[in-house]
Amino acid sequence: MRCYIERVCRQSDVISDVKQLIPDAGLRRRMSRVVKSAVATGVECVGGVERIEALDAIVTATGWGCLADSERFLRNVIVDKEQLLNPTPFIQSTFNTVGGQIALLKHNHCYNVTYVNRSHSFEDALLDVLLRIADAQSENVLLGAFDEQTPSQQRIMERMGLFRRCQCGEGAVFALVTAKPTERSVAQVSGIEFLAESISKEQVAKRYGVTAEEELMYNRYAEYGLYPTASAQVFAEAVERIQQGVERVVVYNEYLGDSPTIIELKCIG
Amino acid sequence: MEQLIQELKEHLIEELNLEEITPEDIDAEAPLFGDGLGLDSIDALEIILILEKYYGVKLANSAEAKPVFYSVKTLAEYVMQNRK
Repeated sequence: MRCYIERVCRQSDVISDVKQLIPDAGLRRRMSRVVKSAVATGVECVGGVERIEALDAIVTATGWGCLADSERFLRNVIVDKEQLLNPTPFIQSTFNTVGGQIALLKHNHCYNVTYVNRSHSFEDALLDVLLRIADAQSENVLLGAFDEQTPSQQRIMERMGLFRRCQCGEGAVFALVTAKPTERSVAQVSGIEFLAESISKEQVAKRYGVTAEEELMYNRYAEYGLYPTASAQVFAEAVERIQQGVERVVVYNEYLGDSPTIIELKCIG
Repeated sequence: MEQLIQELKEHLIEELNLEEITPEDIDAEAPLFGDGLGLDSIDALEIILILEKYYGVKLANSAEAKPVFYSVKTLAEYVMQNRK
């Protein structure tokens, strides 16, 4: 199984262009911070809202979902004693809000799925894309991952002692994935593996035969912060490294005791 | 009445998250839905909540919603007549 990456976009690439990428003020004003930035990142990845791409699947991933809206809705339930509940935070707090809003903006009615599987969300979404491509069900896929941090969630996780080694993080990453290499392809995903137990950096290097010219990215949570889909940021960095000339990058992620995952990326050709 | 109109405009901006709009930008007599502020059916639900939450005003029957929800001024008049 393999797929090709044409483009990768991060939240930080679009932060100043949100209004341009989501021109409908009515749509934009209902979006929370994470929805706004993730939708803008996804739309930018497929070339802006005006460009028509032959997308036949939108697959998104999130570990925490739209936390701010979920918190707002739950707070309203308590404060207003389950009466007079504002519908917007409830509508916007569902996990598939981002995938749905991108489809609305792109007038796209294709396969649209969101994976919410803790720290495996991004890897499961990627596996779905690989399987759909292997099964000839998809040619052009928008793959994305997003998570947001909120002060209350940060406080709870801090009290649980989860940030002793690295800080909490958040972000959105989208990739335009194709079944066949094109002139715009920049990297290929050549493998994905789900492990039952954690292995050391040395064991990963041995398992994949990583040479000195190649790169192994092992648990990069210190760089991107601790959040379930931080592996998508490492995936984006791996694509960038391949664009810079590295022939192969192996990405190992293991989030808070969840079983680890490995993604292998290679240059085209 | 003027104070109530101003207050309603502020609640609408806050609760409907109307980006880049100030109370001065809202014409009290302009339609809220369609051409004016461009609100939609979800906003109508939110306005019902604003009336109930801040003024204890409940819409007695849905038939009167259309004229009441026409503008900020018609909303203010309805609140004046029905507030507790």
